[in-house]
Amino acid sequence: MKKYQLGEFEEVVMLTVGVLYKDAYGVSIKKEIESRLTRKVSVGALQSALKRLEDKGYLKSFEGEATEERAGRPKKYFQITALGKRAMEYSKSTRDELWSAIPKVAWGTKIVVG
Amino acid sequence: MKTNPPQLPLRFFRWFCHPKLLKYIEGDLLELYEERVQEKGKQKADIKFIGDVLLLFRPGIIRPAEGYEQLNSYGMYKSYFKIGWRNLLKNKSLFAINTSGLALGIATCLLIMMFVADELSFDRFNKKADQIVRVVLKGKVNGEIIKEAVTAAPVAATLKNEFPEVLEATRLRRIGTPKITYQANTYRNSQVAFVDPNFFEVFTLPFIQGDAKTALLLPNSIVITKEEAEKYFGAEDPINKLLEFKDAKEQYKVTGVIEKVPANSHFHFDLFASMEGLAHSKEEKWLESNYFTYLVLAEGIDVNEFETKMPAIIKKYMGPQVAQLGMTFEKFKESGNEIGLFIQRLTDIHLFSDFAGTSELEPGGDMNSVYIFGAVAIFMLLIACINFMNLSTAGATKRSKEVGVKKVLGSQKNQLVHQFLIESFISTAVAMILGILIVTVSLSLFNQLSGKELEATFLLNPKVLAALLGLGIFISLLAGSYPAFFLSSIKPIAALKNKFSNGRSKGIRSTLVVFQFVISATLILAIIIVSQQMSFIQDKNIGYNRDQRIVLRESYLLGNNETAFKNQLLTDPRIESVTRSAFVPAGPTDNNMTGVWVGENKEDFRRTIIYGIDPSYIPTMGMQINTGRNFLEGSESENDKVIVNEAFIKAFSLEGNPLGQSINQRTDNNGGFSSLTIVGVIKDFHFRSLHEPIAPLMMLNNPYGGLIIKTKTAEMADLIESIQAKWQAFDVEEPFTYGLLDELYNETYLAEQNMGSILKIFGFLTILVACLGLFGLVTFTAEQRVKEIGVRKVLGADVFQIVSILSKDLLLLVAISFIIAFPLGFYLMDKWLQGFAYKIDIQWWVYIVAGLSTLLIALFTVSFKTVKAALANPVESLRSE
Repeated sequence: MKKYQLGEFEEVVMLTVGVLYKDAYGVSIKKEIESRLTRKVSVGALQSALKRLEDKGYLKSFEGEATEERAGRPKKYFQITALGKRAMEYSKSTRDELWSAIPKVAWGTKIVVG
Repeated sequence: MKTNPPQLPLRFFRWFCHPKLLKYIEGDLLELYEERVQEKGKQKADIKFIGDVLLLFRPGIIRPAEGYEQLNSYGMYKSYFKIGWRNLLKNKSLFAINTSGLALGIATCLLIMMFVADELSFDRFNKKADQIVRVVLKGKVNGEIIKEAVTAAPVAATLKNEFPEVLEATRLRRIGTPKITYQANTYRNSQVAFVDPNFFEVFTLPFIQGDAKTALLLPNSIVITKEEAEKYFGAEDPINKLLEFKDAKEQYKVTGVIEKVPANSHFHFDLFASMEGLAHSKEEKWLESNYFTYLVLAEGIDVNEFETKMPAIIKKYMGPQVAQLGMTFEKFKESGNEIGLFIQRLTDIHLFSDFAGTSELEPGGDMNSVYIFGAVAIFMLLIACINFMNLSTAGATKRSKEVGVKKVLGSQKNQLVHQFLIESFISTAVAMILGILIVTVSLSLFNQLSGKELEATFLLNPKVLAALLGLGIFISLLAGSYPAFFLSSIKPIAALKNKFSNGRSKGIRSTLVVFQFVISATLILAIIIVSQQMSFIQDKNIGYNRDQRIVLRESYLLGNNETAFKNQLLTDPRIESVTRSAFVPAGPTDNNMTGVWVGENKEDFRRTIIYGIDPSYIPTMGMQINTGRNFLEGSESENDKVIVNEAFIKAFSLEGNPLGQSINQRTDNNGGFSSLTIVGVIKDFHFRSLHEPIAPLMMLNNPYGGLIIKTKTAEMADLIESIQAKWQAFDVEEPFTYGLLDELYNETYLAEQNMGSILKIFGFLTILVACLGLFGLVTFTAEQRVKEIGVRKVLGADVFQIVSILSKDLLLLVAISFIIAFPLGFYLMDKWLQGFAYKIDIQWWVYIVAGLSTLLIALFTVSFKTVKAALANPVESLRSE
């Protein structure tokens, strides 16, 4: 069984929240992912991912300021929790391990061309 | 100027979005929308907005099914249960009183209902139960009432031939107590009967082995129960085994094995022998009645209408045979005689048959006791429900503030009604479970008292379970309705100010208390009168001495050795005297009756009971000769002498000079008769139960049958043992059986004794429940008047005054209940006593005792609370306002 449940998109969201540090809320996260990874992110996909991560305890949130362009609705800022950090580290280290376990020769012989 | 996003999708989003996320996501959406309007124009932004909203419509964002805005109010019901339970626990004593009272009521009601259901279920197990009837004989011959459950042998076949609506006719004739042997196994069995071959097609008695249709077709075939088969044959296969009837010297082949006859049948025979070989059963004798005759009528036949066809049959078939006796049937009828066949439904036999004591197969039940018990069950339940209502109402008034606050906060009336009904439902459920537990625990005791074989599994029957559920709901509605509707209709301001008037509910509560004590006082009255009648029976001078008398009914089985056995007994110093007679005034006895007239007065013809005794009978039984003398020992000339009882003298008006009068009885049908001379008059003694008046009786010097032994020892058990040893010395196969006359006497009144004990138990329970109610009520009153009591104490009232103030009202109610209870009790008990020919008078002091004891019980109950309230420190009650 996996120790930490973290999907690909979830990991992207977590990393982006980390990147944005104190400025991670719905719109900013969406824009950041879209600009850095050049992929489209719908509000729905993002929000449900955020909710899942919060439910898992990887993210915590607090209510931010309400601005005029939001018609007085407050922002919800996200922060990575200690558990979230561990999950990210775990995810990274397993990938690193896998990376380092790939024999060098595998890169040299291109049998199948994707 | 700000642009607004399309309203419809936004509203849709607001509707489906999880409330916790709504404002943040809406904020995001609006922020994005604003940006897009700036960048790409309103139209594109609108489309994107709609797309975003639609993509948000996914699990995780959509609010959960159960949320804060529900379509129903189950959540409220959850809260009712919670609050209801907390409330019950808060008033633990009230809760305990309330539920235990209701549980007792339910338990009693269930027990009685089981009893009643069992009584009503008799013979219903037969598939054709509604079509089966029994033909019985009723009439009046020479002034003597004839009432027999048996009819003549040819009745069955005749009715079947005469009437197409008679589908099947079958007969049963019981065979005394034959001795039946298989190899080394010999038993006497009193449950043996001859039956027609089609018997098992009429009665549904399932066969384990053999075939119901053919088992009894051949003479000398026999069908036995599984238990009997095991008794005689053990593990062997019973089919085709031969059972020998010792007395008749006949052998019967076992052709079928059936299950034991169900407990709720009006007969319980173990062996059914084929009637085919019984010559008597085929004779056309209409004037001898020995056969229980059952018919299966076609469906939809009216029994009463069918009955009207019987007189014609009697005239056609019995008439000629009556004429042979020298009197035409017309003349027979003209001289005031009647004889008729009547039809009795199979399902009526157990409860309505009035042939008990004459020829009924088994003592039946009594519809009256079913009614009485049914009434007790309903009253008991009613009392328990009333208590429950009373206490709930009383307890609920304390919650008027809660109701007020709830109403102010917007509770609707029906919500409050629901709340109180749910609380009553919780208590009822607890009481119901408790009640069922009580039933299962006390069932064996109840079975002992009622002589039933009721089983708790009865309660698992789906129909019964459904009825129980219905009963539970009914009780909770009935008991909960008053507090529910009353409290929910209080005006909130009045409730909050505690100005809430109690007037109306007080009136109702008082009525309920009166009702309960009417029942309690009536029961106490009934218990006293029943006990008085029972001790009257015990102490009544019955005209003979029943102490220290041993009855050996079976001593005739010794045959020629009986005299030798009797002489051996007389040598024992512990035995004072022994008499030889089959006639015992209590318990099983021989019965013999004949029609006699005195002197020349042939018109005054009466059926008279005959006792066959020897000269030592009267001294042994401790009977008393008023005038004349006893029979003389060893004198042949004594055989045409007779001793009569006072009732005989009175019936034939021989008060002047009875001695020497001649009593005549017919010896043939041609006018021949024999005469007996009265030599003595014996003081009346009760040879039947006290339900019946003493009938004319004559005693002949004709000893036969059993032995009655008068002893003079305290060590009865030793003596019986030595008698048994003497019996066995004669090397007879017969087992030694004996009875003690006083026990036999008491057994005659077993039904009354059981009724007495059942009445006592139910009386106790009813009073207990009524007292629980009273206790609860006074608890409530004391709490309501706590301030008043405090003020009174401060102003100098003493404990006694306060106790009397608190008890006064309730005791007044109890006193009022006597006014109703006493006439009611008198009426009911007078009716009960009518059933006895010898009975006590209901005396005035009985009412005083019943009244005083009820009052004392009530006072005692109330005193627990009143004294406590009166002793309380007024500071406690007055300091809070």
